Amino acid sequence: MSKLFFREAIARAITEEMDRDARVILLGQDIAAHGGSYAETRGLFERFGPSRVRNTPVAEAVTVGLAAGAAAAGLRPLAFITYIDFLMLGLDPLVNYAAKLRFKSAGQLTAPMVVKATAGAKGQGPTHAQALDSWLMNVPGLTVLAPSTAGDAYGLLKTAIRSPGPVVYIDHKRLFPLGGMVPDCEELIPAGSAAVRREGRHITIVAHSYMSVVALEASKQLALAGIEADVIDLRSLWPIDWETLANSVRRTGHALFVEEGQVVCGVGAELAFGLQERVSGLRVARLGARRVPVSASPVLEADAIPNAQRIVLSARQLLGRVADNRSETAQR
Amino acid sequence: MIYVNKITNIPLQTAVIGAIERRRRLQAMLLLRSFESALLRQPKPGFQLLSRGEEAIAVGICTALERTDPLLCSGRSIGIALARGVPAGGLLAELTGKDGGPNKGRAGRAHVSMPSVGLFGAHGVVGGNISVAAGVALAQQHLGTKAVTCCVFGDGACGAGSLHETLNVAALWQLPLLLICDNNGFAVSTPVRQGIAAAKLTDLAGPFGVPAAAVDGTDVDAVVSATVEAVAAIRAGGGPRFLEMRCTRLGSHSTLTREERSAADVERFMDFDPLPLYERRLRDDGVLDHERWVRIQAEVDAEIAEAEKFVEAASWPDAEAAMLDV
Repeated sequence: MSKLFFREAIARAITEEMDRDARVILLGQDIAAHGGSYAETRGLFERFGPSRVRNTPVAEAVTVGLAAGAAAAGLRPLAFITYIDFLMLGLDPLVNYAAKLRFKSAGQLTAPMVVKATAGAKGQGPTHAQALDSWLMNVPGLTVLAPSTAGDAYGLLKTAIRSPGPVVYIDHKRLFPLGGMVPDCEELIPAGSAAVRREGRHITIVAHSYMSVVALEASKQLALAGIEADVIDLRSLWPIDWETLANSVRRTGHALFVEEGQVVCGVGAELAFGLQERVSGLRVARLGARRVPVSASPVLEADAIPNAQRIVLSARQLLGRVADNRSETAQR
Repeated sequence: MIYVNKITNIPLQTAVIGAIERRRRLQAMLLLRSFESALLRQPKPGFQLLSRGEEAIAVGICTALERTDPLLCSGRSIGIALARGVPAGGLLAELTGKDGGPNKGRAGRAHVSMPSVGLFGAHGVVGGNISVAAGVALAQQHLGTKAVTCCVFGDGACGAGSLHETLNVAALWQLPLLLICDNNGFAVSTPVRQGIAAAKLTDLAGPFGVPAAAVDGTDVDAVVSATVEAVAAIRAGGGPRFLEMRCTRLGSHSTLTREERSAADVERFMDFDPLPLYERRLRDDGVLDHERWVRIQAEVDAEIAEAEKFVEAASWPDAEAAMLDV
């Protein structure tokens, strides 16, 4: 194992996959000599050249369309969307074309493409800050991955690039500067496998992407109060690792779902429903962004999205361990 | 209306095309027309966008392309699919949602594809196929196949951002991409002049440095010539080209759409029906006589009858099996 920054783990995964498969090409804004908006493509342009590492115009619709068409015609493109908010401009080729291609062609055509999009609030305001994960989970034909550690960033991206169908790989601005252990040998993490980050018997906290980091922090505070939380990092939003989730909540009987995006029709809503279909007597709560756009003001941004303190409060409320009976989620 | 091949400015080479080839083109167009009539005779023809008035474009483009040139088209796909070589019976099954279609009835006219005959696929979102076609062209360029990717879309798509983003990147990267606008005059009920600010659709390509030409889309020979020229230029490494093929949609937008054009206008449009125009020209040129015309009609009728038999015998898709390719 070596310690790498999250962004370095991404660059390593891409480098290995491009060395391995000449069909892998990169498309995106500022990914060539500039080295990527988050320095996550540093060195790739120099190594693989302009025909495989292509700067695109500021035009997400054609960028995703290029990836979809090139994938259908035999390449394995990885398209970079600097802010996931801008993926809205490219949803048509992704959702209407790529995600439906295998089905509508009865298996004659596939779109083995990856859209790597960066989510999350970090001071950049309403349209550079959203978490749209649950929108994408809703689309049949899409695989949706969201790593939170450097090791997972590496292993999941390699899986994504080799995947037969369109994959959205969601990373997060606050994760790029974080370090983590990455295996020295090639190691792939399959889609649909969640990771248990911490074991505890009282409550299951389910999160993904940067919220996994926040949930772990919260679990340490809960432990000080005698509450031991299982923390599950989803890693894969579709397919969902129901088995790992169900095994945990069968033990704890309580599940708190934490996400940075909106709770309405959110990741937590889907998971809570799915788990209640599988495990009887389960008590659930969810925590996500307040129903306001994310602000560029640090105060308002922090107010809009979950933090460790709110996770602690929600967990205590779910377990009935608070004197004050006001519900954190009810305030939302 | 003036239709000029602006790429070459050379006269159309109809004189050097053999009589047999010209009769084949006529027969191919008649097949499209008769096929759509057969489709409408089906118990449940469904939501279809017919090609009536646009047969010369479908046949002409497919005549000019090599089998290995990926062809993408819009949801007005029936003529193109048939001209490209999708078997009539299979296409009829696809359009009516039956298992015998190339896509097992899942795709319908808006998404039919058959890569084995060079039909990379239709796409039901107006303009949505244009950027995808650029990606297909990028793959051909990257893999060094020498294939020219051809994308056919309607005049309605010319107002969509996808075309403009694609023209930009195709020009920047010199993609082997032929963009063909099948300008049938109307986007559902909106005439081109109300939907597109440019005086001519070919003007849209100019700012990107993409050579463009307008073609008489009711003249199959003109369509073939213009497409052949453009494909040759692209294949030689000349980068993308844009062709506007002008024709008139003879029917309403779809089988479910009200006809809002006046009866007098629709009557007048029949002057631009490519079939009688071409039939008359072949007679005038002495390559079609009554006996040959009767034989062509009989051959088309036989092919259609076989297709109708095929679709009648075809089964409905199995809902469980459909889950396999999601």
